[in-house]
Amino acid sequence: MTKYRFISTLVIASLMTGNFACNDQLEVGNPNNPQTATSVVSVAGLTSLAQGVVYIDGFYDGDSWLGNSYFSLPYGYQELLGDMVGAPTALNQNINRISQPNYFTLADGSTIVTGVANIDEMRDNNTRARTGSGYNATYYQWLNMYALNAGCNQVLDLIETITDDPSTIATFQAWAYWWKGYAYASIGSMYYSGLIIDEYGGTSSDYVTNDVVIERSNYYFNLAYTTLDGVSDEGTYSSVLGGLIPDFTQVGNGGVPTVAEWKRNINTMLARNIVFNHLSPVINGNPAATITGATISPMTEADWQKVLELASDGIQEGDVVFTGRSVSTNYFFTATGGTAASLTIRSSASATSTFTISERFIQNFKDGDARLANFSTDTKTEHTTFGTRYRNTTGLVGSDIYDYGSRNVGEYELFIAGSYEENTLLLAEANIRLGNIDTGLGYIDAVRDHMGAGIDAVAGTLTTEADAMEELIMERRVALAFRGVSFYDFRRWGMIYDISMGGGSYGNTYYYNGAVYNDVIINYNFMDYWDVPADEAELNPSTSDVSTVNPNF
Amino acid sequence: MRKMRKILLLFFMVSLGYYAWAQDRTVSGKVSSSEDGSTLPGVNVVLKGTTTGTVTDSNGNYELIIPASGGSLVFSFIGLLTQEVAIGEKSVIDIALSFDVRQLTEVVVTGAGVATEKRKLGIAVESITSANLPAAPTASIDQALIGKIPGAQISSTSGNPGDPVNIVLRGVNTVQGGTKPLIMMDGIQMGATDLGSLDLSNVERVEVTQGAAASALYGAQGANGVIQIFTNRGKEGPVSINYSVSYAQNEFINSGNVNKANKHSWLTDADNNIVDVNGNILTYNSQGSLRGIAYENPWLSSTGTVLAAQNSRWAVLSPDNVSDKPYNANLKFYDHFKQMFKKGSTWNHSLNISGASGKMDYSLALSHNNTLTPILKNGNYERTNLSANLGTEVFKNFKIRSTTQLVYTYNDIDKGFGGGGGYKYGLGDRSGDVGSVWSFLNTSQFFDLDYKFADGTPPAYQNAEIVSVNAWNPNYDAYYNTSADKKVDLIQNFNATYMVNKYLTLDATYGLNYRNQNVRWTYLNQSEHINGTWTGVYASDNTGEIVNWQYNNTFQNFIGNAFIYTDFREDFGWNIPLETSTQLSFDYRKKFYKEYDSYGVGLPLVPPINMSSTGDQAVLYDYEETFITYGYLLNQKINFGEFGGVTAGFRSDYSSAFGEGSKPFTFPHYDGFIALSSFSFWDGVKSVAPYFKLRAAYGKAGIQPGVFDRYVVLDQGNLGDDLYYSNPTTPNNPNLQVEVSTELEVGTDFTVSLNSTGSWLSELNFAFTYWDRSSENVIYSVSNAPSVGYPSNKTNAIDMSSNGIQFSLNIPVIESPELKWDFTANFGKQTSKIDAIAGGADIILTSSAGSSAMTLSAGQKIGQIYGYKALTSFDQLKSDGTRYIPEGSEGEYDIVDGRVVNIATKAIQWTENATSLGDPNPKFNASFINNLKYKNFLTFGFQFDWVYKSHIYNQVREWMYRDAIHKDFATPVTIGGETGAYTAYYMSAYAGSSASLNGGGNATKDYYYEDATFLRLRNVSVGFDIAKVAKLKYFRKLELVLTGRNILTITKYRGFDPEISSATTANSAFDRGVDNGTMPNTKSYQVGLNVSF
Repeated sequence: MTKYRFISTLVIASLMTGNFACNDQLEVGNPNNPQTATSVVSVAGLTSLAQGVVYIDGFYDGDSWLGNSYFSLPYGYQELLGDMVGAPTALNQNINRISQPNYFTLADGSTIVTGVANIDEMRDNNTRARTGSGYNATYYQWLNMYALNAGCNQVLDLIETITDDPSTIATFQAWAYWWKGYAYASIGSMYYSGLIIDEYGGTSSDYVTNDVVIERSNYYFNLAYTTLDGVSDEGTYSSVLGGLIPDFTQVGNGGVPTVAEWKRNINTMLARNIVFNHLSPVINGNPAATITGATISPMTEADWQKVLELASDGIQEGDVVFTGRSVSTNYFFTATGGTAASLTIRSSASATSTFTISERFIQNFKDGDARLANFSTDTKTEHTTFGTRYRNTTGLVGSDIYDYGSRNVGEYELFIAGSYEENTLLLAEANIRLGNIDTGLGYIDAVRDHMGAGIDAVAGTLTTEADAMEELIMERRVALAFRGVSFYDFRRWGMIYDISMGGGSYGNTYYYNGAVYNDVIINYNFMDYWDVPADEAELNPSTSDVSTVNPNF
Repeated sequence: MRKMRKILLLFFMVSLGYYAWAQDRTVSGKVSSSEDGSTLPGVNVVLKGTTTGTVTDSNGNYELIIPASGGSLVFSFIGLLTQEVAIGEKSVIDIALSFDVRQLTEVVVTGAGVATEKRKLGIAVESITSANLPAAPTASIDQALIGKIPGAQISSTSGNPGDPVNIVLRGVNTVQGGTKPLIMMDGIQMGATDLGSLDLSNVERVEVTQGAAASALYGAQGANGVIQIFTNRGKEGPVSINYSVSYAQNEFINSGNVNKANKHSWLTDADNNIVDVNGNILTYNSQGSLRGIAYENPWLSSTGTVLAAQNSRWAVLSPDNVSDKPYNANLKFYDHFKQMFKKGSTWNHSLNISGASGKMDYSLALSHNNTLTPILKNGNYERTNLSANLGTEVFKNFKIRSTTQLVYTYNDIDKGFGGGGGYKYGLGDRSGDVGSVWSFLNTSQFFDLDYKFADGTPPAYQNAEIVSVNAWNPNYDAYYNTSADKKVDLIQNFNATYMVNKYLTLDATYGLNYRNQNVRWTYLNQSEHINGTWTGVYASDNTGEIVNWQYNNTFQNFIGNAFIYTDFREDFGWNIPLETSTQLSFDYRKKFYKEYDSYGVGLPLVPPINMSSTGDQAVLYDYEETFITYGYLLNQKINFGEFGGVTAGFRSDYSSAFGEGSKPFTFPHYDGFIALSSFSFWDGVKSVAPYFKLRAAYGKAGIQPGVFDRYVVLDQGNLGDDLYYSNPTTPNNPNLQVEVSTELEVGTDFTVSLNSTGSWLSELNFAFTYWDRSSENVIYSVSNAPSVGYPSNKTNAIDMSSNGIQFSLNIPVIESPELKWDFTANFGKQTSKIDAIAGGADIILTSSAGSSAMTLSAGQKIGQIYGYKALTSFDQLKSDGTRYIPEGSEGEYDIVDGRVVNIATKAIQWTENATSLGDPNPKFNASFINNLKYKNFLTFGFQFDWVYKSHIYNQVREWMYRDAIHKDFATPVTIGGETGAYTAYYMSAYAGSSASLNGGGNATKDYYYEDATFLRLRNVSVGFDIAKVAKLKYFRKLELVLTGRNILTITKYRGFDPEISSATTANSAFDRGVDNGTMPNTKSYQVGLNVSF
């Protein structure tokens, strides 16, 4: 008995104090996820990070409520506010409200009031609580672009700890500078004020106005440009860059740009920064119109000269540009929901879609434009603002005519930054504004040819700046649809401003109560530069004398 | 660590010899039940003050050798009143024991460490024996516990088979961790298996310690309280065989009569056919949809401009449109709820064989539960449990025990209809996904959900252009989806107890809990479907997909205890009634979880349909986590006879989840009681109050941070073939501390003798506890300025506090030989609030149930819904001090149902800023339990549960307002003296918000924030024991039981079921008050047969 007692005491006691516990067991680690210190230690690791901070942090995370990427959500707002698309049925979010104009005035002088005011909508919903419910339009672009900026700061911080190969370093740096330039361009073109944060892990509450943010964007675009000069080994360059740009986007106009091509992409973005952040109003056919009380100043001749200079060395036909594309698995956006374009597509007459095609988009197609074949008239939508006779179809894949969207995997080519069409139309506009009307019109024809429009050339047929600008506006709206720039164009041409400020949109097509009205005046009266989202402004109040609220509205 | 080991060894060295006792006479007798005279096997018979004792045999007989000097015999058995009888000169002592209604003699271990009678506890521990647990059709323990534990809020939030219940014991003390208590079985934490998977028929007893003070013994895992289950053990006597079978029919509760409007305001012709604006009678097109529907009237402005045409969406806002026309011509009304919700059923079988002889006891159980879901009778949830509890005394005073439970669960209810699966689903306690069930809410009532195309397929959506735009037909999902969820659970405990001598007992338990689960979703290729759409998860086209989820859980728990007992009078001859017990424990827990998820897209139209036949495959998630914690406990109890006692101790825990890993955290606890009725000064009132105890306890207990919350990592994934790393939107924090909850509880237990001689209302037993607790270092993600690159970061952000009272009242209403009636009332009231949030900014949340907004704000109750309120008076002021309704224009408005309504537009007027709508948690919850027994063959019991002033945001109703589908739209209201079912009035409750009319739409509004107070007949049952009446040979019991569960609900709540909760994850700390996408409970009628041999 004593023996048993001894043995069992021993057994239990040893169990109790034995092999179970020791402190180093507690360091269980997290075997599932990479850590910077252990995984970002090679060029391969840095490639993974530098790719992720752009395509995931910058263009994917946080964008799931409207489509599933930066190209459906902030791009979606661009297309809504540019009156390229409508959102009549999505009643549960205010995308059905923020892009409604104050009123429509029909040719007979009668007025249809929508009861919606964009400025009130923007401000009422710019609270942290409304962000939580998905109503705050100001939030997403800010969130994505600062995540992109922070990720690029992180990459820049790590490069020199990983390699000392100058071409590798230059390629990573150019990548990070380019996307920082892109992020600041987006912030500076959309918000009244912004923050400059260029240190990894850095913070700032020193708000600066939008023009200062654009300057910072230009700084980084230029830095990317000069850094590319440091590439001594093109082979290293293209292999590093080829790893950063997802393979499945390296088709069509996508791919790995050469140093020269990338520099031309940069020039287009620099030209864009000037154009988008200055006024060049064309109101009711008057190319010399002025807007009072806008946040930004008009383009000067010197500005147009600079645009001409940059665009002349901008993206050329056939240049590789930055694109996105859907893929069936492991994507950064889906074919059906990841782009503003895909949200407009109705696979059949009875199908529904988040966005509808705006009559104000379609009105810019000239008779006989082959690109119109993208849109079917077999179903109509009734709505005070968004009423339309058109729906976008899965498109014209395989034809030589431009495709405005597809819900099929891999078909639609999304432009993340500049494109040949955009650069060429910048050349057109700069030339027209500088008096070279025929040269400018030639560029418009070039774009139409490039996109397979199949319509007669306009070069030589128009002589006035007003007519040429009308042609330019029509083509820009048609050519650059769903590329995330429609609101910027609408703003700089003055259409979004209140009629009392000199703005307004004239000569529009309006589909209302089953009837089509022409020559309709629309008073959009939108806020031109957005307030900083409350999520930033409240948690990080301004310590500079720059307001986080646009004082002009 | 080393020091601890030395101390432990020191105690083990203490071993004292045996005492010899004079043995010179025998006493024997029979123990029977005072209730029915039946003999009682297994009753403990002990010579008072000694270890000399025995247990009664299968016939209730005992025989014991005692010293010549005699003494007293103590007869005790769990659930029966202990009796003490002086032996004197007697050699035969027969005795009848009666049930202990007060159960104060009941022995509990949970929270007490050392097995302790309730009357000697300084803490509140609730316990319930299996006899008092109802045979819920789900056959699950969690369901059975509802209403049984005073103070605890245990609510069944879903009628979906297999879904867990929500449990809040004492307040909400954490945010990230949820409110789920620690679940233990037979002394060991059950860390892999859900409470709902256990076999109810195999439960002997459940103990619940609610407070941090009580669960301080469990240290860093104890703050949410502890529920411990004790499984059946074999009892001395002949083999006992019990078999029961039951069949139940279940249907969803719809206490608010939710339905769609059966009258409309569509444009019609003279025959009431619904027509388009050109007068064409509408017909369903080839897609199953309608084109051209229009309202009777367009929406005109006050000046007559058309604001919305008849055939546009917003004509619903026309004050001229009134829903008063029946669907009696070309379009019919379909009751979609009837089409979706059928009668489900449940079969339960259980067989239990148990017994004990000599040194061996055994209990074997086999049970099977099969539930057919009422949702389209879509699939079955089946559970089979095999249990074995074996104990033996290897040699004197050394006992070993093995308890095993094997569970196989198979669930083929589709994903979206209540089936399982999904990201981290294998961590357990998740509700099934019911995402597809409610998709018909926005399908207009004039569409037939049972419609089939010529090829036999159901339509995917049936829209009517301007309404029914979000329509979806669940039959489509049911047609193309299948799901198979297979789960194997093993719960194995080994226990060894060695009573070294009367001072020292050593006890060690090792538990292994393992779960392997595989869920596979299949979405067939839908490319031939006429609608050209599809259902799926990761697919981006209509060619189908397979998603495969593989989960593995392994949980190990070792607890080693040393118990040291002294009795000063007996052991040291001191003349003071001092007894001490010391518990020293070492407790080690390790959890390992593994998940591997993959999917393939693109399936052929012909078999085989498997992962190999998909066109493209991807790994979704390859994940494993390890969690280790261990700690030491020292618990010292000192009792002064019956007069009082104190306990003090501490527990020190190490955990792999604590920031920086290695720093232990120590949780102290103290408690004490004083039984005033034991003192001589009480003698005067003893006849009125025979028992009176005061108790108090203080303790700290913790909640662990998330397993990997302290490891700062990057996210990773694939872009095409590339591996990417990205920054998480909420980075981890290497310095996280354990969440600590500190509690003080004070309470009393007493008995009032009312009528000691009669059979009516002989006494009243009352237990009351007040508790107050505060939690600090509560972990949550707090928002930060997004310019830093991420919108939130995880930190010990929140301080919280809560308090409450709980009591139970038990009255034996009648106690006569013919009839017994026992009444119990349980009551709990608690409230929890956020005291402070790091940085001060509100934490903005959205309910997982939908778009309803919530905030966590310092100074506010937790879980508040945040939204717009309707104006309630004409002179209400805006935040800037100006009036909403200008002075002088009051005549344009009326008050309807307490809200300001514009008479011309019929629109409800709203305040401009969203504010908190209130605390959705109940003011109190109570239950009333009655058990009656007539003679020994007829039983009748019923339980009412009352939840008072809980609130639910009725998001389902709001969604059904979206397309003017809800039945409210056909309900007339009187506005400005005119009565009609104005569509504009109801629509303004959907579309109105601060901005303006037809505004934000779906904004959270107080219109849908409803009082969800309810009184529910939780259980009613009648049992008739044929064996007792017919005196059948061999049958100990042949009982027919008719049971109704949830069959009556009295509530003003307008949704299906006032008991639901929003969260898609059970036990959410803050997300409880939104009704959307959750399944109501079922009401069941059950017939059962219990047979005992």
